[in-house]
Amino acid sequence: MNKAVMSEAYARGGQPRNIAGGVILILSSLLAAILVAAGLMYAMGTSARHEAAITAADCEPGLAPDGLQCTTAQMLTSQYTAIVTPASQQLATDMAAYTASERRNLAAAHMALTAEVMSEHAFGTNLAAIKFPVTMAPIAQALIQANQARAKLTAEQAQSTSLAQLRSFNHQVQAANAAVQAEMKLLSKALATNPPGAQPR
Amino acid sequence: MASDTVGGLGTRQPDLAPDDAVGARRAKRKPAADSKPPRRPAKSRLDEWMEVDFKFGGSRIKRKTIALVVLGAPALVPLFFMLPALVTLDSNTFSVSVDDTLGTGAEIALFLCLLVTPLTTITGQRWFVPLRRWYGIVMACTGIGDAVAASITDDFAGGVFGRLAGHAFELMGFMMVMLVIPLLITSNPYSQRKLGKYWKRFQGLTYAIWALLAAHLILLEGFGFQRGANGSGFAGDGDPIFHQRFYQYSACSLFLLILRLPPARRWIAARQREGRNWLVYVVVLPLFALFVFGFIFILNEEIFKGIDSFTEHPSNE
Repeated sequence: MNKAVMSEAYARGGQPRNIAGGVILILSSLLAAILVAAGLMYAMGTSARHEAAITAADCEPGLAPDGLQCTTAQMLTSQYTAIVTPASQQLATDMAAYTASERRNLAAAHMALTAEVMSEHAFGTNLAAIKFPVTMAPIAQALIQANQARAKLTAEQAQSTSLAQLRSFNHQVQAANAAVQAEMKLLSKALATNPPGAQPR
Repeated sequence: MASDTVGGLGTRQPDLAPDDAVGARRAKRKPAADSKPPRRPAKSRLDEWMEVDFKFGGSRIKRKTIALVVLGAPALVPLFFMLPALVTLDSNTFSVSVDDTLGTGAEIALFLCLLVTPLTTITGQRWFVPLRRWYGIVMACTGIGDAVAASITDDFAGGVFGRLAGHAFELMGFMMVMLVIPLLITSNPYSQRKLGKYWKRFQGLTYAIWALLAAHLILLEGFGFQRGANGSGFAGDGDPIFHQRFYQYSACSLFLLILRLPPARRWIAARQREGRNWLVYVVVLPLFALFVFGFIFILNEEIFKGIDSFTEHPSNE
């Protein structure tokens, strides 16, 4: 090794200066500093971008109560879908389990109906947590009530002491289901055709 | 070139090797008759302060123990967030937000686990080293919990395997969970003794999980960010770039990666030997600031999605 290079390498206390490590650290540190600075500058424009985003989504921030965002159509649809899709799947599973056992296994039918009641209650609770705009609130309320009526009926059905008594509820439950489905269709239609523009949350 | 020089080409500087391995190598060397006992790195003042015990109830507890519990307990918060949904068997909450709550929780635990070594390198302190194992265990439990819940409650077709690996991003997550299981099983002193020198190499699988997490997030979110209603990250609050998970990952990973590179560690060790640790802090500060920047938004995600999960009103934003 060249003597000069060697003395350069061992210039400090007999230790190599390890230029590569310093270069890597300093360059990556400069990159990090630039990114942090860019991030801070970007963060300063947050409120302007927020207002632009909700205005673009047909939501007027000025109409929202202080400190609250307004609900955009996209947000509302997303919240509604997040509740309805899994709830429908769960209910379909519970109903299929009931259908499979309604003629031959009272205990299994009871279990399926109990699960159905729980799913219906969870659906109602989650739906009630969504803050619908005033134009949609009555439809949502009607859906919640229809769902409650169905849950009550299913709970009564689950109290049956014989398979015959159990099946005697089927027509009433089907009618209650149809009422819930009708309200769900109305709400979906309202969400699709009448986005909650300019409605405070 | 003298054979006892360190840091030269093709040589390995002893203080860069993992501590366990260094200890093993030192133990094998037979010291010369006139040699001094092998030097251990001097304990920092904070390390010494942490070793002091105090009376608590009827027993004596080290300050370090309290500090480790305080720093380690928050890693369990993601699991705590999902507890009400588990107790009430709320499949809706699991279906909608378990990925965000436990997945992000596992990511946080992984980054905290990976953060321990760079912090030891920079500060020279070792009192928090036990947290590395703890965060690793929590990361494994959280990740496995996420996978189990997803395999039961996700909407994807194809049965359990379809729900776990039916999409490319899910396959990456599934592979991470498969790797984390042997790491979890061997994360105890018994396995460490049995595996000997191979234990450290085996635990290197953590780096594969780190890399797979990048692939998972790229496949999930892509490289871009949300514009209008398109893309990843939630634009509604005006910060789509900060909510892009791959950007958060990259911001955190730069610090964790650079501080693991042998040349960078050699440079830091050299400055510390010169008594110029202030220079290390100055150089590393922007990297750490970027880490904190990215980590804050991962925590933000965890807290908001986690609280929604805890109240069983899951958010799929």
